[in-house]
Amino acid sequence: MTWSTYLPLWPLSVPPALWLALTLVVAVLVGEALVRYLKLPRIVGYIAIGLLLGPGGFSLIPQLPAAEWRLVVDLALGILLFELGSKVNLRWLKANPWIAGTSLLESITTFFVVYGLLLWFDTAGVTAAVVATIAIATSPAIVVRTVTESRAQGQVTDRLLLMTALNCIYAVIFHKLAVALMHGETGAGLMHSVLQPLYLIGGSALLAWLFGITFERIHHHLGQHEETFSFVLFGMIAFATIMASTLKLSPILVLLAAGLITRYRRQRSRTFPPHFGSAGAVLVVLMFIANGLAADLNGLRESALLVLLLIMVRAIAKLSSVLALAHYSGIGLRQAMALGIALVPMSSVALLLTLDTGATFPAFASGLGLALMSCIVILELAGPIVVQMALGAAGETPEKKT
Amino acid sequence: MSLMPFAPSRPLSIGVELELQLLGCNDYNLVSSAPDMLRRIAKYPHPGDVKPEMTRSMIEINTSVQQEYGGLVEELRSLRKVVSDAGRFLNVAVAGGGTHPFQHWSEQKIFDAPRFHHLSELYGYLAKQFTIFGQHVHIGCTGPDEALHLMHMLSRYVPHFIALSASSPFVQGHDTGFASARLNSVFSFPLSGRAPFVLSWNGFEQFFDKMTTTGVVESMKDFYWDIRPKPEFGTIEVRVCDTPLTVEIAAAIACYIQAVSRYIMVEQRAAPQEDDYLVYTFNRFQACRFGLEGVFIDPCTHEQRSIREDITGMLARISAHAMELRAGEAMERVREILAAGNGTSWLRQTYAREHNLGDVMQLQAALWMGN
Repeated sequence: MTWSTYLPLWPLSVPPALWLALTLVVAVLVGEALVRYLKLPRIVGYIAIGLLLGPGGFSLIPQLPAAEWRLVVDLALGILLFELGSKVNLRWLKANPWIAGTSLLESITTFFVVYGLLLWFDTAGVTAAVVATIAIATSPAIVVRTVTESRAQGQVTDRLLLMTALNCIYAVIFHKLAVALMHGETGAGLMHSVLQPLYLIGGSALLAWLFGITFERIHHHLGQHEETFSFVLFGMIAFATIMASTLKLSPILVLLAAGLITRYRRQRSRTFPPHFGSAGAVLVVLMFIANGLAADLNGLRESALLVLLLIMVRAIAKLSSVLALAHYSGIGLRQAMALGIALVPMSSVALLLTLDTGATFPAFASGLGLALMSCIVILELAGPIVVQMALGAAGETPEKKT
Repeated sequence: MSLMPFAPSRPLSIGVELELQLLGCNDYNLVSSAPDMLRRIAKYPHPGDVKPEMTRSMIEINTSVQQEYGGLVEELRSLRKVVSDAGRFLNVAVAGGGTHPFQHWSEQKIFDAPRFHHLSELYGYLAKQFTIFGQHVHIGCTGPDEALHLMHMLSRYVPHFIALSASSPFVQGHDTGFASARLNSVFSFPLSGRAPFVLSWNGFEQFFDKMTTTGVVESMKDFYWDIRPKPEFGTIEVRVCDTPLTVEIAAAIACYIQAVSRYIMVEQRAAPQEDDYLVYTFNRFQACRFGLEGVFIDPCTHEQRSIREDITGMLARISAHAMELRAGEAMERVREILAAGNGTSWLRQTYAREHNLGDVMQLQAALWMGN
């Protein structure tokens, strides 16, 4: 028997998962410190720690294979998207069509100002359109997480959730259309450029509908057993995500639509624990760390001006659209300011759309994609703070204990 | 500040104030949407008045001065329509009922107006715990002495009004066992209970002046009595009722009070006795705790019967007056409550069926909004 049979070899070769585990601990502690001493949202800490320790920062954590992360991110985002959908009352749009109008206006305006800006920077038309569609989406992850954490309620909160769900749907659909155009440009037939989005929307809707029905059935029988129910739900979300990818549909669209359909069909209101239980909450924390790890600020070096202008025109587009229709849709100036600003965050949905585009078109990943990534990183870090401040300014967070 | 002179008003005219709950459509918890609702409602012409209340999750609707059930219920229905439409536009549900079954008082926000901030500072957490919802009924009186006579004579029937309107069994997530748990919150205020036994307006003015000199009160608003005079309207105001689950029941109970008042004004001219109040708190407690099943002790004969039986007897005694006031339909609704139960029975039955207070609240809102 030698030393080496029972003692570890020096230097230690630890699996990367160990650093991840440590990152989780540090990130959660930093998140708590942010809340306690700076009154900042916890997720800022999660993302920042991921960013600082990851390849984008001090590179203390080795690069992990994307596939390992992807499941965590997909599952957590799936939970958040389904959660968002199930908090949104689509019937409200019928009672107050001005909200639908505001949503369409802010999305169209965002698309065109970003598109225009990119053309002005001499970007090819199709590429500009792809980026502009991604810019439409507000981050559902940041919005849902911040609303949950700040226990906000009221007009701005309700509208923020609804408009976020809607602009994510537009973003995913029009992104696929734009990508189809990109394919058309690189030589595929026109027919495929038309059929692909149709397949995407129809297929996603069908899968979402099946998910919604199954969810209701299972909830009917298992709803009282919160823990059991959340496990079944995670299984379903994972299944739907993987199924959607396998069928080349959009997991984002499927889960968001599933949430909306479940809420729409339901006779009674249901409240679920945040992220459907503590297991879901852990996944959500991991997802924000992963987003930080995946963060890439290299685009800033070459196109800082573009990134800055992108952020600014996008924010102005969203804010001015909300302000323009505020009076008709029944909110005051202060609330409209808050809502417009709270629509600014970008995160997971934009990140996944960018990564997917980059995977298909490597030129995009090394070009404009980099600038877009920097834009997402900045709005991901600032997003939770902005949303929290906006909801506070609108008077929708609980009053401070005195 | 001395007491306002008593403005004469048309005898037996009625006015109703209802405090309503504003609820979020996802979890049916209280939502601080009063400013949004009031801004929206102000855009539409409507009868009566819609006003803010202590916390931002409640609003109050007031009718104009009405003479009989038909006009009253019609006006309440149009107020309900305006409020419900604004609610649908803003994704806010509106409900009756005396308490919210699972709201947490510390999460309520005080409405931004000087009077409410003053009360909040004075009463501390009581102000936020005052997130309870009542129906106030005004009865017009020809003069101040008549008003005091009516106020003291009506006290005998306070248990009737409590039991008929009771719709607040649930507080902070639990069944309190009370038919009207809302009144327990009112009792914690220092100047709650019954008005002092003073039968002349001169005497009442002296009492009020003495109270203001002590610095305890500034205006009539500081008295949280079960029934109090409202000199500027020329009315007495019955304040013991929970907000019922529908405007129709609210109108019926208001008209029951109106008919009882007519009976008192026409048939019971003899002065009230202070000893009538000996059974007052006992009877009132029985009504709060057990509703229509509560024990009622007759202040004159000391006989015991259930509050339901006493109301049944009263309905027979006032039928001619109700006829005169064209309140036949209102009395029919009161009879329905005696047979089918009050709001509290509806809430308990619904909870037994749904097992979830959020669902109860959703159905309660659907009932009030009429959708």
